[in-house]
Amino acid sequence: MVLDPQFVWNGIVVGSIISVSALGLTLIFGILNFINIAYGDYMATGAYLAFAVNAQMGLPLAVAIAAGVVGMAAGAVLIDKLVFEHFRTSSPVTLLIVSIGIAFFIRNLIRAIWGPSGNFYDVPIEANPNLFGVRYSVEQLSIIVASLLLLTAVYVLLRRTRIGIAMRAASDDRTLTRIRGVDTERLVLYVWIAGGAIAGLGGIMLGLDAQIRPNMGFTALIPIFAATILGGIGDPKGAVAGGFAIGILQEVSVVVVPSEYKFAVALAALIVGLLLRPDGLFGEATR
Amino acid sequence: MALLDLLLVVGIIAGVYSLLAIGMNMHWGDTGLLNFAHAAFFAVGAYTSAILTTPTPEAGLLAERVVGFDLPVAVGIVAGTVLAAVLGFVIATTSVRLEGDYLAMVTLSSAELVRLVIHNEAWLTTGAQTLKNIPRPMESTVATLPVSYDVFYFLLVWGLVGVCYLLFERMSNGPFGRVLHAIRENDDVALALGKDVTQFKLKSFAIGAGVAGLAGTLWAHYVYAISPVMFLPSITFLIWAAVIIGGAGSYAGAIVGAVVIVLLRQVTRFIPGSVPFSDQMSYLRLMLVGVVLVAVLYYRPEGLLGNAERLQAGTSEGD
Repeated sequence: MVLDPQFVWNGIVVGSIISVSALGLTLIFGILNFINIAYGDYMATGAYLAFAVNAQMGLPLAVAIAAGVVGMAAGAVLIDKLVFEHFRTSSPVTLLIVSIGIAFFIRNLIRAIWGPSGNFYDVPIEANPNLFGVRYSVEQLSIIVASLLLLTAVYVLLRRTRIGIAMRAASDDRTLTRIRGVDTERLVLYVWIAGGAIAGLGGIMLGLDAQIRPNMGFTALIPIFAATILGGIGDPKGAVAGGFAIGILQEVSVVVVPSEYKFAVALAALIVGLLLRPDGLFGEATR
Repeated sequence: MALLDLLLVVGIIAGVYSLLAIGMNMHWGDTGLLNFAHAAFFAVGAYTSAILTTPTPEAGLLAERVVGFDLPVAVGIVAGTVLAAVLGFVIATTSVRLEGDYLAMVTLSSAELVRLVIHNEAWLTTGAQTLKNIPRPMESTVATLPVSYDVFYFLLVWGLVGVCYLLFERMSNGPFGRVLHAIRENDDVALALGKDVTQFKLKSFAIGAGVAGLAGTLWAHYVYAISPVMFLPSITFLIWAAVIIGGAGSYAGAIVGAVVIVLLRQVTRFIPGSVPFSDQMSYLRLMLVGVVLVAVLYYRPEGLLGNAERLQAGTSEGD
């Protein structure tokens, strides 16, 4: 069986998107300790904000991406102030259900504003160049470059800055971090900014790779969950590794399983991963 | 008269949702299991019954389905219920040992996998197209009666809701339910008392899934035609909203919550004439569901009919 390098390339593209998105989800989980079901809809919001600036207002894509990322970071903070802040002491399950309510709200707001059908960014359509037998598009290349830049930036943030180190500490033990004099409420603000921005970027990448639809983020949520769990919930390094693993596995699997079922590969990886390594790939999950 | 017809339709939908909520309440309200696969149980019930009770389709241009059994509707309803329970058992065996959040993600993913299979295996399910001409139970008999079919179906659905309510209420208050409640509060306590916690969780999952399957069969036989897009995860989330709004742990609450959700979704049907934003109305209604859900969690976390004490106990494990 010969492995077509095209599938590996596709896998890296999909893996980049999943990695970036899983990173945002896991960062939020690390500090706030709940699964945000609305995360997929944050991604869709970022994608639609960029769509509004790019295709509807006619500005260049770079401006649109910046607008989508900044807009969603602000949006995540706004949602926290309006809703999540009032549930700070609630159990993780309550927060999860609150996020279901928010997901309903956001997804249908998007449908009400932009309609239920699919849209595309206004990017020049060109024949895909070909390198060593692998077809690639400019969008795919930008997705990979953007994800590498973002992953590096988050790595530096978490390892080298005071905020990042405090975030990692709080992810490990929030109470202890507060006792050591860290303003954890401020950290929550930062994590929403970072998580919202990353969600926005992930959504835009997804929209560039495929289509912009109201439920695009929600449908993408399952591989993202799988990557997050595979890496160990709350572990950024694991989320990225899990994201690439699932992306590549999913695309390469079309060699053996029908392509309609490539999503099932993510699920299989998730269940096997949970049974073999319940604490995640690197075994230092927060729970 | 038109208003009464509309009320009957909404009432039938509310009854189906009530059955779904009863199943969910067994999982979450009684056992504390985060089940996000409800849409899959609903779908399996609906498709099983539909496939069993429709004849083998004639070969045609668009007829992809090659199986059909033309059995009586009652057989379909029983089989749909049982198969959904089996599916619940199978999904639970892979994941019931997992902690809350993990269980939520795995069940949600499993449900999507089920929908994927229904969507792709056209030989069995007609795939993305609608599976049509699902027979209605006792249609010819009811036609001879002086009441409309919807009246009969309304009574049938709500009769079953009543039976399930009594049955589950009894189970919940009996020895079986008491073990489930102990598991909900603290796994280890139940284990220390010599209860096989995993077995009880599996049973709870299977029973709750079975009722959801029953709801699916009733849905399929009412609407004539089903397609995979009817069984999106948003159904699961709506039922969660119903159980939380009604009050987790209370079966009466589950029913009330389901009725509230259906009314919220259908209320604008009752407004005659044209309304502003009529195109966006269905989206606005779902936004409203989101707002009501968050508001209930904020102002009345135990739900409309829930027990505040249970809420207190349920969170002890949270941190």
